Amino acid sequence: MNIARWAAIAVTAALTAGCAPSTADPTTSADAKTGTLTVWLYDEADRSPKEKVLADAVHEFTGQHKDVKVEISYIPTDPGPRAEKMKGAFNDPASAPDLAEFGNTDLAGYVAAGAMADLTSAIGSWDAAKDLPQDVKDAATVNGKMYGLPWWVGVRALYYRTDVFTELGITPPTSYAQLVDAARKVRKAKPKMLGIAVGGKYVFGALPFIWDAGGDLATESGGKYKAAIASDASKAGVKNYAALFAGDICPPEQCADLTGGKTVDAFAAGLAGMAILPNSSRGKVDAGATKGKYGVVPLPGAKPGSIAPAFAGGNDLGVLKSAKHRTLAIAFAELLASKKYQLAMYDAMGNLPTLSGARGAVVTKDKFLAPFVNTMSAGTRFVPNTPAWTTIDAQTVVPTMLQKVVAHKATVDAATAEAETAMNAAFGG
Amino acid sequence: MTRAAWRAAANLTGLAVAAVVVFPIYWMVLSALKPSGEIQAADPLPWTGHPTLDHFRSALGVSGFARYFANSAIVASVVVVASALIAFLAAVALTRFQFRFRTVLLVMFLVAQMVPVEALTIPLFFLIRDLGRVAPMAGLNTLGSLMLVHLAFSLPFAIWMLRGFVAAVPESVLEAARIDGASQSGVLWRILFPLAAPGIAATSVFSFITSWNDFVFAKTFIIGTEHQTLPAALLVFFKPDENDWGGIMAASTLMTLPVLVFFVLVQRRLVAGLGGAVKD
Amino acid sequence: MVSTAPPAAVDAVRGRRSTAPPRRRRGGRWTPLWLLLPAAAVMLPLFAYPLYQLGLLSVLDFGQEQVSGGVPTRYVGLDNYRTLLASPKFWDVLVQTVVFAAGCVGATLLVGGLLAVLMTRVWAAVRVVLSFSALAAWAAPAMTGSTVWMFLFDTNLGLVNHALGLGPHNWTYGKLSAFALVGAVVVWHSFPFVMITLYAGMQSVPGEVLEAATLDGASALTAFRRVTLPLLRPLVTIVVIQSVIWDFKVFTQVYVMTGGGGIAGQNLVLNVYAYEQAFAASDYSLGAAIGVVMSLVLLVLTVVYVRALHRRDGRL
Repeated sequence: MNIARWAAIAVTAALTAGCAPSTADPTTSADAKTGTLTVWLYDEADRSPKEKVLADAVHEFTGQHKDVKVEISYIPTDPGPRAEKMKGAFNDPASAPDLAEFGNTDLAGYVAAGAMADLTSAIGSWDAAKDLPQDVKDAATVNGKMYGLPWWVGVRALYYRTDVFTELGITPPTSYAQLVDAARKVRKAKPKMLGIAVGGKYVFGALPFIWDAGGDLATESGGKYKAAIASDASKAGVKNYAALFAGDICPPEQCADLTGGKTVDAFAAGLAGMAILPNSSRGKVDAGATKGKYGVVPLPGAKPGSIAPAFAGGNDLGVLKSAKHRTLAIAFAELLASKKYQLAMYDAMGNLPTLSGARGAVVTKDKFLAPFVNTMSAGTRFVPNTPAWTTIDAQTVVPTMLQKVVAHKATVDAATAEAETAMNAAFGG
Repeated sequence: MTRAAWRAAANLTGLAVAAVVVFPIYWMVLSALKPSGEIQAADPLPWTGHPTLDHFRSALGVSGFARYFANSAIVASVVVVASALIAFLAAVALTRFQFRFRTVLLVMFLVAQMVPVEALTIPLFFLIRDLGRVAPMAGLNTLGSLMLVHLAFSLPFAIWMLRGFVAAVPESVLEAARIDGASQSGVLWRILFPLAAPGIAATSVFSFITSWNDFVFAKTFIIGTEHQTLPAALLVFFKPDENDWGGIMAASTLMTLPVLVFFVLVQRRLVAGLGGAVKD
Repeated sequence: MVSTAPPAAVDAVRGRRSTAPPRRRRGGRWTPLWLLLPAAAVMLPLFAYPLYQLGLLSVLDFGQEQVSGGVPTRYVGLDNYRTLLASPKFWDVLVQTVVFAAGCVGATLLVGGLLAVLMTRVWAAVRVVLSFSALAAWAAPAMTGSTVWMFLFDTNLGLVNHALGLGPHNWTYGKLSAFALVGAVVVWHSFPFVMITLYAGMQSVPGEVLEAATLDGASALTAFRRVTLPLLRPLVTIVVIQSVIWDFKVFTQVYVMTGGGGIAGQNLVLNVYAYEQAFAASDYSLGAAIGVVMSLVLLVLTVVYVRALHRRDGRL
């Protein structure tokens, strides 16, 4: 036998073995009652308060469950790295956590990937569940089954610098025109400050402008979605948002690449006159130079006195289908979502509780929340509730569109048309 | 201009270029030693009066860099040793024997270096995942998986480079050993291997770099944090809030140091090997 | 330092083969097979097989639903390639990858070549200093090189903005300036290889040949062009091929320094594009198709270059 024959054998072996990579085994969850419970939570701009609450919860939990350890990892929250991380877990059940925190916008895609365990009956038998408002439960429901335990909700409003506004004699804006005007005044008087911190990658900051102009990401009819981002109304909203990326407000050089998290940083560090931030950013802002020097009002719409519709954000806790400690994971999730720890998370992070009782308690106690509650009552909106949204998000369709517009790399017409095509491809239309 | 003036100008240019080239390394080490206040200062100084090891302490302690460093070191050591042995054997076959398809094989090792590693990550990800079901030591999330792929991707260049060193050993030396009654494997391991050893050391630098610098496999295969290696762990320092440049520079310094030491140790042989890779 | 010409480089330059005439050794004709077996045992399953699967994936519909959602995989023929070729973004990325790589290769060779010549003209001490600084740049891992340069060019705390008095200038905002910055890091990493290799080659050009040329009345420049350069050609070939291979496949620097491709993906290169299509957007088959295209481009470039040399010189 010579080399040639060996080579031939090797090639034949490779070819016969050569089928496509196997698809993952239909994973069945195990239900060990001891061992290490692995939990993935979102990393935060300032993680330490969250870590502290979690340490308490873990202490209480391991006190109740002997021979159980809880290992908590913090995962990145930027869309790209987050998607890679979660997909890694779906592709390799062995390295997946038992319990994970995720944004409610991601749920539909995760369910379509076959990754999440159905929690309908578990939540049904959870005592506190009756205290969950219906709209919150709906956002954790796909095809009539609940896959997530709602942990907290959040909406965004307009933070502004009280000291700077007083000094310049401006009042908090109650319309888009006033917002632009106030932003210009701040930057003119304080050239080191951004008039308002907005970001080219900050989708949830941009959406209120699109919704306020009467536009939307997509429209639904009969369960089918169709992109609407290139409609005239949507384009008007995009233009309004992009107009804030100007040398005399938020120069594109500095702002085109900002994420929502970076706008929090800029405002907290005292480098911005205003910012569109969620209630949960309060902790981070209080830890920075801006502490004690800011107020919050609802983000105004174009019509004077109106409130721009906010994105109904919120995070769920979900058990993975591949979990090895199903019961323990559910028990730990229920502990974290209990009134006690929802309140603790509110105190630490400013996360608005999902349980009505807990929410009522904090709203009456803390008048900081008034503008957020007003924003919620004015009506909130959501991204398309379909698995395709996860794809659109992972392909960074909307941030790419925004960045092209704000950095003047494409016209509004061209950028929105491109985004519309990409979205429709994902919707399968 | 006179000859002496030309020469002086050349020397000055040489020194200036050297300063520019080495400056980023200097700045890295300096910033790692600067107190945080000086890094944030509006007026960066090219030296520091208050060197501190705080950034190293926080990198190694708080951020768990010691563990990532150990992970990287374990993977790289295994890869270096295995790659040296396997490449040595292959280089012997390719230089001291004539057989059919020898040239074809040589060309294949050259072409192998052209394959974009990042694209191969896609099928390898699934391969490693499936491998983990039969061999948990080498599945996703293990150092074993990194050892395997780093080995595979270091071999083509190692073999290509090692050929020159193996070929440089005169046939007469081996012939003499055979006349003295040495066996085939005796000639291989007791004569040829020691004589090619300096070259093997030089080649090892590149296997070491392949493993030590790998970012994309570590990022893709290691989903948890426990078995992460240095380059991907460095991204940990790019936090959503203000980048901790002192920590990043300290971690970068720790990561650069072993490669630098390795390079300096074998620098004499590097060029010989690279030159040797030219033939055929 | 690298001051004396090592034997292998000398031989390479002189075009002499130091390889003993390969002949079949006694001890059996299977020996080369056994010697190659360990390499084959690693390379076939971990290199050849994935390469084959890369091609296979590129003709399938293979996304997240297939990987973990239990949806069966489907053969789609050349659909992924059609999607790619019809996508203006792909063509943009392809063109800017080629231009960026060509720029890096050109700059690397120019800088490395000039400095190699410079090294032959300076005192030994200066040569040692230059070699060691180059060695340091060469040794710096791509990841740490990227972080250090990012820090130097940081918008707010960077030394460069401060030294040039630019204020908070963002170097990665403009497409060209971002590519230039990444390119500078790539060149910084790769010129030492060119410089040190070419210098060793020049050292090994026999002094008597140059002397003879000078005696014949040739100027130093002519002697360099007529004598040194032709003798260096094999070395230059390998240096060019290696540079093309390395610079075309730059991943870490682009991925890290531009945050995965820059504003609206303006700084994407094929490598990063393929990776993100596969692992971020979970279109594994489209990512594989990009990988195949990229391998082919690289192969064609190298073959064309080698053939051009071969035609000119009649040998490699």
